[in-house]
Formats: sequence, C-alpha cells, structure tokens
Amino acid sequence: MSSKDANPQAGQGILMPKKETDLFRAVVKQYECKQYKKGLKAADTVLKKFPNHGKRDEAINMVKLGLMHDMRSHVCWHVYGLIYRSERNYNEAIKAYKQALRIDKENIQIMKDLALLQIQMRDLAGFAQTQHQILELKPNLKVSWLAFALGKHMKGDGKGAIAIIDTFLSTLENGSVDLQKSYETSELALYKNSIIAENGNWKEALDHLHECKKKDILVDQLSYLKLSGYYQLQLKLYNLAKESFFNLLERGSTEDYSVHTGYMLSILNIDGEVSRTMLKRKGARALSSMLVLSNDQQKTLKEAYQNVLIERFPKSIATKRIMLTLFNVDSEDWNTSVNAYIRASLIRGVPSLGDDLSSFFIIPATSSNKNEYAIAKDAVDVKSHVAYKSIAALVDTVIASLESTSMFPGDDDVQPPSTLLWTWYLRSVLYEKAGDYSNAIAVVDKGLDQTPTGVDLYELKARLLKSAGDINAAVKCVDTGRELDKQDRYINNQTTKYLLQANKEVEALETIALFARHESDPEQNIFDMQVTWYELELAACLARKGYFGKMAVEKHFEDIHEDQFDFHSYCIRKVTLRAYVDVLRWEDSLWGQDTYVKAAEGVIHTYLHLHDNPSEHVNGSEPDYSSMTAAERKKAKAIARKKKLKAEKKAADSAKDEEKEDTKNKNVKQKTKDDDPDGQELLSKPPLEEAKKYASTLVKNAPKCLTTWLCQYDVCSRRGKAMLALQALFRAKSLEDSSGSMDSEVFKRIVDFHLHVKLADGSHTAVEEVFGSEKVNLLGTSSKTLSDFISEWQEKVKASPLCNLSLRVEVAKAMIKCNVGTCSDASNLIVCKGLDIRGVSLQSCLEAINTLKSINGAEKQAQEFAALAKSVYSLSSNF
Amino acid sequence: MREIEIDFGMITNDNVEQLRIINSTSLPISYPDGFYKDVVIAKDESLNKFAYHNGFVIGAICCRIQKDGDASSKIYIMTLGVLPSYRGRNVGTKLVQSVIDHATSEECQKIGISEIMLHVQISNNDAIKFYERLGFEKGELVENYYKRIDPPHCYILRKKL
Repeated sequence: MSSKDANPQAGQGILMPKKETDLFRAVVKQYECKQYKKGLKAADTVLKKFPNHGKRDEAINMVKLGLMHDMRSHVCWHVYGLIYRSERNYNEAIKAYKQALRIDKENIQIMKDLALLQIQMRDLAGFAQTQHQILELKPNLKVSWLAFALGKHMKGDGKGAIAIIDTFLSTLENGSVDLQKSYETSELALYKNSIIAENGNWKEALDHLHECKKKDILVDQLSYLKLSGYYQLQLKLYNLAKESFFNLLERGSTEDYSVHTGYMLSILNIDGEVSRTMLKRKGARALSSMLVLSNDQQKTLKEAYQNVLIERFPKSIATKRIMLTLFNVDSEDWNTSVNAYIRASLIRGVPSLGDDLSSFFIIPATSSNKNEYAIAKDAVDVKSHVAYKSIAALVDTVIASLESTSMFPGDDDVQPPSTLLWTWYLRSVLYEKAGDYSNAIAVVDKGLDQTPTGVDLYELKARLLKSAGDINAAVKCVDTGRELDKQDRYINNQTTKYLLQANKEVEALETIALFARHESDPEQNIFDMQVTWYELELAACLARKGYFGKMAVEKHFEDIHEDQFDFHSYCIRKVTLRAYVDVLRWEDSLWGQDTYVKAAEGVIHTYLHLHDNPSEHVNGSEPDYSSMTAAERKKAKAIARKKKLKAEKKAADSAKDEEKEDTKNKNVKQKTKDDDPDGQELLSKPPLEEAKKYASTLVKNAPKCLTTWLCQYDVCSRRGKAMLALQALFRAKSLEDSSGSMDSEVFKRIVDFHLHVKLADGSHTAVEEVFGSEKVNLLGTSSKTLSDFISEWQEKVKASPLCNLSLRVEVAKAMIKCNVGTCSDASNLIVCKGLDIRGVSLQSCLEAINTLKSINGAEKQAQEFAALAKSVYSLSSNF
Repeated sequence: MREIEIDFGMITNDNVEQLRIINSTSLPISYPDGFYKDVVIAKDESLNKFAYHNGFVIGAICCRIQKDGDASSKIYIMTLGVLPSYRGRNVGTKLVQSVIDHATSEECQKIGISEIMLHVQISNNDAIKFYERLGFEKGELVENYYKRIDPPHCYILRKKL
C-alpha cells in the first residue's frame, strides 16, 4: 500500500459504495500521521459524496485540514469545490475549481465541473474559455465542439459560433457516424440557422435553410416550413411565404393560430416589426383579432378564408373561429356563422364556450399599441360591446325556443335536456362577464333545478356567489359540487382556493390533502409538488388574518433555477441546442415570472407592514406571528403550537421587567427550538432591508412589470432614497404613459412623493437642482405644481366617462388632501357616472364609499353609492 | 318525447352523493346512510348503476340479491329514480331492462335467480303501470309497510323469470 492507495487515483473513490468508503477512510487515517495527506483527502471526497447529515461539517474540516497539509493538491481543491457546490455556493466553488486547475492544468473532469458552474452562473466568457480548453484537449469529441460553439453564441459571438460549427462539420468525413445521426445533424443545422437569423440576416438564413433542405438533412419539417415562411415574409417574398404557411396548414397545423397569422400576414403583405411581434404571440388568436385592420384588408382576408380555407379544412375549429372574426358583427354572415358555431358547441356540451366567445369582444388596446386589439375584460366594456349584445340576444332566443319546444329556433330536431342545460350555462357565463351576477345566478339555478347532479353548475354558481360578495356561500356551494365527484381534482382545488379566500386555512389543507400523497405529511407533499397557487393563496389568507409568513414560492424558484443543471450536459450531448438556448434564456427571466412577482410583492408588502407597524412585531399583539412564518409547511400543527407559544410568551414577559430590550430575543430563541428556524430568522431581520432585497430582485428581473416599480417606490420612499423613488415613479409612469391614462396606484404615489419625499439633508447642490426639476417633470408637460397636476387629472377624469373607479377615488382623495376644488367637486368625481365605469369591484366600491364618508357633506352620496354597489354585490354584507 | 341516449356507470364512494340527489328528487322516503354504504360496498355495476346522459347522472337503479331458503333466490329492486326533467324518455325502462337482462343471464341462472321483485306504494299508479308494461305482475298487499308516508300500504310486484 502506502502512497499508491493514497494518490490522486483515489479521487475516483467518488464512485465507491459507502462501506468501502468507510473502510478506506479508516485505512487512510492510519497513514495520516505519516503525512499521507492525499489519502486523507481522497477519503474526504468519498465522505462528501455520502454526506450523512452531520458528516458534512466533518468533511469540510477534513478538506481544510488536507489543504493545510498540502496547498498544492488539486484533488483537495476539487473536493473543496464540490463541497461548495453541494451547498449551492457556486462562486466559491468556481474559485476552488480554478485553484485546482492552476495545479493540474489538463484535468478534464475539473474543467467540466467548472464549465457547468460557469454556465449556471452565466459567466459566459469564462464558460467559452473553459470549453475552448476542453476542446483543445479533446478535439475528437463532438460534445467539445458543440459546447464551445454554444459558449461563443451565448457570449454574443454568433459569427464565432457559426465558424466553430462549420469547422466541426468540415472535420467530418463523408459517411462518418456523426453525420448519419439524422436527428442530431438536423438539429445542429437548425441551431446554426437560428444563430444566423438572430442578427436579422434573413436572406442568409433562408439560403442556408434551402441549402440544408437540398442536402436533405432536415428532419424537422415543421420548423423548416415555419422558418421559411418567417424569413420569406421578412424578405417581402409574400407569395412564397403564403405557400409555406399554406403547406403548414396542409400538413395538419390548422389549429396553430400563429400559422394562420403567418398566412394572413403573407396575404396582406405585412412584414417587418409588426409581423415579427404578431408571429411571436401565443394563444388562440390570429392576426384578425390582434391587429386593427382596414376594411379592405378585412375583406381580402374574408375572401381568402371563405373561398379557400373553410372549404379546404372543414373540420378545423380554429379556421371557423377565425372566420367569425372576419365578419362584421350583426351582418348576415356573422349571424349565420356564430349561430352554427354556438349550436354545435351547445349540443356537444362545452363548458368553456362562454370564455371562447368572449374572445370576440375585442376593443382597441388601451395600453401599449393602439393599432392592436385587446380582449375586453371590464364588465362595462363587455356589456356595451356589439358582439356581446348580438350573442346575448341570440342565446336568449335559443333559450326561449328550447324551453318551449325543446328545439332550436327554425329547426325541427328535438334536443335532449342537456342542450338546454348548456345554453343556460352559457347565458349565465355571459351575464357574469357583463358583471350581472344576480341574473347569472338566477339562470344557473334553472340548470341546477333541472340537473342537480351537474358538477360544473356548482362550480359556476360558487364563482358567481363569490363575485356577488358572499364567499362563505360560495364555499358551501363548491363543496357540495366537490362531494358529488370526489375524483375531480379540479373542483377539489377550486374548493381549496375558496376555503383559503374565506380564511379557513385548516379546512383548506384538509381538502387539498385529499389529493396529496398520504404517506408523508401532506403539506410536505404540496411543497414538493411546487403548488404555487396554493401557497400564494395561503399566504394571502394568513396575511389577512394578521399572521405574516414568507412564501415558499421563492424556494421553488431557486429549485427551478437549480434544475438547469440537468440540462447543461444533457442538451449538448443530445444536440437539442435550440431548445437548450430557449431554456437558458427562460431561466434568465425566471425571477421576472408573474408568479414570482406576485410572491415578491406579497413579501414586500408584509415587510413594509411590519416596518410601518413595528408594534405588531415587538409587543406581539399577534403572539403567534412567528409560528405562521413557517406556515406553509407546518400549518397543520399551528393550533397546537399557538397555545405553546402563548405559554412561552408569558414566560418571556415575566422576564421583561429586568431587560426589556431582551424580551424579543429570548422569545425568539425559545420559539426556535420548537420549529423551523427559517421562519424565525425571517422575522427577526430588519424588515426594510429584507423588502429592499426583494425589490431589487424585481427591478433587475421584471422591469416591464408595473408592480416592480410600485414596490420599488414603496421601499425607497421609506428608506429615504429620494432619487431612487423618483426614478421608480418615472419608470412606472413610462409603462403606462402611451395609453394616456394612469394607474391609480401610480397617481397615488406621485401625490405621495410630492407631499412627503425629501432629499436627504446636505445633498450636493447639483443633485438638488436635478431633483427639483425632475420632480416637476414627473407631473407631466402641462403641470408645474402638484395642485396643477391634480386639477389636470380632475379634468381628465371628468372628460372620460368610463374612467376607472380607483383612479376617480385617488384623484378625489388628492383633491381633498391638497385643497384642490371643493368637497363636492371631489365627491362628484367619484359618483357622477354611477357604476357604468371601468374598474368596478367589491374592493374598489368599498374604497369609494369609505372615501365618500370621509368627505364633508358627502354622506348622502356615500349612502346612494352604497345602495348602487349593493345592487351589484347583492350578497355582500359590506353595504 | 324523444328517447335520449344513456350510458350506465358504476356507483362508487366517490360519486355516491349523486345517488342521494337522484333518490331525494324521485322517492318519497329518505334512505339511511347504511343503504348508501351497502351500495358502495357491493361494487356491482350489474345491480347498482347510474344512468348518464351526455356526462350527467340523470337516474339510478339499486338492487340486491335475496336468498329464499337454499335453492332459489331473487333480485330485489330497492330504488329506481330518474330526475324529473329527464322523465318520459325511457330512462327508467332502460335501467330496469338492464337488470332484467342481467337476471336472465347465465351468471344469474347459475345461482338460481328465479324472479325480480319490489314494493310499490298502493297509490302509485304510474309506477305500477310502468312495471306492468315491463312484464311485472301485481302480487299481495302488504299492510303498513311504510312508516312515514300515507297511504302506508304497498303491493309486491314480481316478474317471474
């Protein structure tokens, strides 16, 4: 034995089973005193691979010991890096790997590990460099070439990447194994093609595509056609593009709306930025319902669809739906087609028909680009939409006919009762979209009377009850539906959600647990499955109850980020490079995903609440807040724990007399014992600092999201960072500005900024100057002072009859606060249009009423407004 | 009225609540929990089944096998119900017919099923006519069979196989 065992070779002990590992370590230990350090280190490697809880510390110590003995051992450094990596401390791991490589310059294994971490940390230059080194050492491996090309590409060096791919391909001889793998060759060609196209070299990209086609190496026909059409469109080769997209339809992509969009763009000869934006859109909308078209354009498309596509693809639902968007509402064509479309779905029984039809309620977009359509969501827009009126009238005649004769109007086929049921269902959904909950409930009740076993009906009715303001009745209703079909996971989840919204978190857990795996703690299972909607609802529920908890969602996002590791080596090996690049880019925007933004917003609000109300944190007006921090995992035990905590609190209180300051700490320490330390730590951190961290994550990753800048402002204004607060408001405004309207939240903050935010004393005069002028610029071009600004918006609101209720309320509040106009001016602004305005919700109505109540002389208006709100939210106990 | 298409489906612990709804809308007496438990435990779709129309449960029939001494046994229809809006479309007929078909199958003949029987409140002429159309015959009168409804007497209807 001796040094042979203990040499770098032993590093391969990584693969050894545990028993031998232990044995090995024991052997090596005997040599320790004789300074066979490397043996020791090797053992550590092994140990680290089987980190039986407590042994991790030991492993670290041993490695450190090893390093002390021999700073020049690459194995030591490698292991050191591995340990850091397992702790997700990638920066330190990279350092350790680099140290190891400095000693052993040609160690492929370490290089590979290093490259993995570099791409994970997006050290793109470093990644490219490492891959280059690997390539030099192993030029015979395809993977080396591809990884290097990818490195160049990710670094932004598209040309370099292409050159490497070409070099690689040129090294292959005709008939070599690598060329025979048709899928891989095809993917590699398409990957190269995507890099070419990235710089807008459409011509070159198209030529390359054709060349590949000629060589017959492309197996992905769908991509070939889609890309061809795309490039041809950009090159104004409209007829060719049209042919490509038509080929796609012929090949069976008739339900792919982006293919239809491509086809329409080709017919209308639309290229450039517009075409690219339109082709990027996902979802069940084609060009005709996304872009405002001229009459001529619409006519051209109508002819193409009527004369060609409808006949060619009679079974395609997408084609039928698109056809509907090409008719003028209420024209004879429209009536006939929409009638046929609706009848077919009613007979078949399609619960989503109402949502499907509501995609025809398109209005010119208010934000972003006015040339585009948006789907009307606000009840007031739906109600007045010509397509809504037409469809509602149509459905009403169908109901009348089915109720009296069981036949569709003008038809002599007797329909089964289920057709009438689905017609009622549809009518109810349409009422819902128009914000008429009372009628919606009345209609769905007819359905329940006819078919009390219809689970869908309970679900719909529960949603309506909730909207009408009675969440408890909604819970009862959805739960009745759930009882009817306990295998229906959807309604089970729906019940869970409503329970949480009704602040019944214990029952909610019991309900969702019915579908969770039972062998372990159901909460653990929910956590493992990353059920983010549940966690977000739970957090909102607990926050309403005054318990402050951190959401587990954040952890999920870390996990998703971690999961990338699985792809780094796999994707290159399998040459699915195009998809891999998509994944990398998606991961880069991970922390900008809606779910994360929502979670972060919740966390920030919670911390800010704690910051604004420190008493809640310190004197424990909610003694169990800390148990709730861990709520997402340990909620089931919460009640038991609450009692325990109260007892502990008493004990802590008695100690108060001596050291008041210390109470909190003691409390925290004691509590830590009985549950997750995580939760404790979170609340003991300074709330504002924590909020700041989340806000900066949002600023970095979700700069296009309004929430981001609102949160950033809320944090910065409290931190006394006047400049940053100002910048946040400018960014928030710029997101809204193009529409000419303003979000009430932004308005509120602009007023707040002008009233409360000051530069820190002793700021540089230049800073003060900029600050002063920018502060005025924030008010827009036509206002110089805050009062100007407020009265400007007062006029704007007056001039826009549908103006959002929340904005009305905020402007009115500002008027009162800053003495702009009279009290009755302010209250009139809120009530003048009744509820035929945008943004009417239970919440905004309550806010309006509270504001009215606080305005002198507006008591009567408050009462009247409450009566109005009561007519919509008839089941709410708030009015 | 036109016939409607129906499918049959098993009654299980997950959907037995729908049986309660069918029974409560169709029958004058309410059945104890034990009745529903037994139906679920039986797990026998030939004796206990739902009638589905376009995915909705609209009717149900529940039967059990009764032993008469050693040799012969019979099928006893405990409940039959169809949602009011779906009546007059032969749903009930199809449900009973499916039980008759089962009773005459080889499987049932092997265990000696000799008849199908049930109790009907004497005032329920519609039901009596309905079963007579399906080949049932009115048997003896049982007095005070029901406790909570009036009239409390019933007939036994049976169909010899």
